[in-house]
Amino acid sequence: MSRIAIEDVKILDSSDLGRGNYRLILGPFGRSRSIMAGQFVHLQVPGGSVFFRRAFSVYDVNPEEKTLEILFKVFGRGTALLAKCRRGDTVNLMGPLGHGFDPPGKKESVILAAGGIGMPPLYFLAKQMIQKKHESDKIHFFYGGNCRADLIEVARIKKLGVKLHLSTDDGSFGFKGFVTSGIKEYLENNKGDYRLYACGPTGMLKAIDRVAQERTIPGQLSLEAPMPCGIGVCLGCVLPLTSGGYTRVCREGPVYNIGEVLL
Amino acid sequence: MPDLAVEIAGVKFNNPILTASGTCGYGEELAELFDLSQLGGIVTKSITVRPREGHPPPRTAETASGMLNAIGLANVGVDKFIEEKLKFLEKFDTRVIVNVAGAKVQEYVEISARLADCSRADMIELNFSCPNVEAGMAIAGDPIAAEKAVREVKRVFPRPVIAKLSPNVTDIVAIARACEGGGADALSLINTLVGMAVDIETFRPCLTNNTGGLSGPAVKPVALAMVYKVYKAVKVPLIGLGGISNYKDVVEFLLCGATAVQIGTALFIEPDAPIKIVKDLRNYLTKNKLGSARELVGQLRSY
Repeated sequence: MSRIAIEDVKILDSSDLGRGNYRLILGPFGRSRSIMAGQFVHLQVPGGSVFFRRAFSVYDVNPEEKTLEILFKVFGRGTALLAKCRRGDTVNLMGPLGHGFDPPGKKESVILAAGGIGMPPLYFLAKQMIQKKHESDKIHFFYGGNCRADLIEVARIKKLGVKLHLSTDDGSFGFKGFVTSGIKEYLENNKGDYRLYACGPTGMLKAIDRVAQERTIPGQLSLEAPMPCGIGVCLGCVLPLTSGGYTRVCREGPVYNIGEVLL
Repeated sequence: MPDLAVEIAGVKFNNPILTASGTCGYGEELAELFDLSQLGGIVTKSITVRPREGHPPPRTAETASGMLNAIGLANVGVDKFIEEKLKFLEKFDTRVIVNVAGAKVQEYVEISARLADCSRADMIELNFSCPNVEAGMAIAGDPIAAEKAVREVKRVFPRPVIAKLSPNVTDIVAIARACEGGGADALSLINTLVGMAVDIETFRPCLTNNTGGLSGPAVKPVALAMVYKVYKAVKVPLIGLGGISNYKDVVEFLLCGATAVQIGTALFIEPDAPIKIVKDLRNYLTKNKLGSARELVGQLRSY
């Protein structure tokens, strides 16, 4: 049997989290149990007025209930239509797709760098690490947004018991400045070996990639690109590799090692 | 149970549903989703003499009822294709059509000659019509060049040769006749239509190639009209493609004269669409008391 399923699922819950951010709970989806943090699902937005599916990284799963959650911010027509979906609506879901994060060793100190709506896969990673008995105080969760309202689901991240470092560009909450500045400052004051995982806007990932390479911190980035097919056949979502040639974000990615992709 | 099998140039297909070049890679990814033996056939990504990386991203754009692409013939090259990709396809009971692309006639001949001894390559399909590389169009739009190219390929490839036609020409019938004259055993039509999308914030085209090939349901009426016209003008069998996403579309193409069809862009939305279409087509034939898919071919009652 295929590890990828294509199934109609129901929207079991839809929440407006403010500032264009939404959370959907979808199910039942039999393969929710097998989803690794960093993997994504490809949703067919109901109504037929957008042509391609839309890719969303998985935020959380509940294997008992066979459900999964996604978070998204309204950005274009697809997300705008998805935001209008209501509980009980049916969407076609394909997944899980792509390669997730390689989990860290149990004893490693870990930095998770989340920028804006790039947060979901890192929450999921932290949760899966803790389920595998990773010490929660060795997980440093840096989460930044433009302003306070951009930081969503903070209470839920806190519940994981991780060391949470919040920041906003405008200083309306937490550390004032970019996620990357917060991480740099932290590293100055707390020497040691770390492994780093990041997801967020391209500008932030570029900066993280540089910071990690300068300090030879190993780690991985979760990238995005517009994805027509999501399974590797259309060759539309490619990004250039530092070693030359292109990589399919949907297939070889969306998670890459630091320095692997030319950002 | 209605008979779905069709025959093209002496090659038997289990059913008339094929996957189109450039939308199914070399079959590896789709094979994770379903058994490729359920397909009538698979048409591989265009193969060139040397590997090609393709155009820089963005390579695709969403449009109304369709998409634009300018992938730029990214492929592994004929050597690696024969060594790895063709070998992978050996385990499936389906027809393999290798799509061949080149910058000049000599390259088509070189690749076709390499494939001559590969029995898994049941047929080849000549991509004269990729709108995203300049050289392709020189052959696609010129009856004399197209005829010559087919003739030279036929000399080196012992099994049936299909010429894939471009809609980006003044008279597709003239090109179809020329390819038939050159010895093409079948024609497939249509490739993508040249199209464009523009970002009004950046004032830039949505593709780095500036223009791309339009595909998807948006092009289906154009494809149907061309199949209809070419069917009346040539004797060789036709393989129809362009925006097919369900069994009804397939029936339309068969009625207009296609013996088989290729599913392309629909695979990006529903990778298992061909499997569903095979099932639905069988039900349609049963419901309409038709003994075989062949009975539909060219049965359009035109005015």
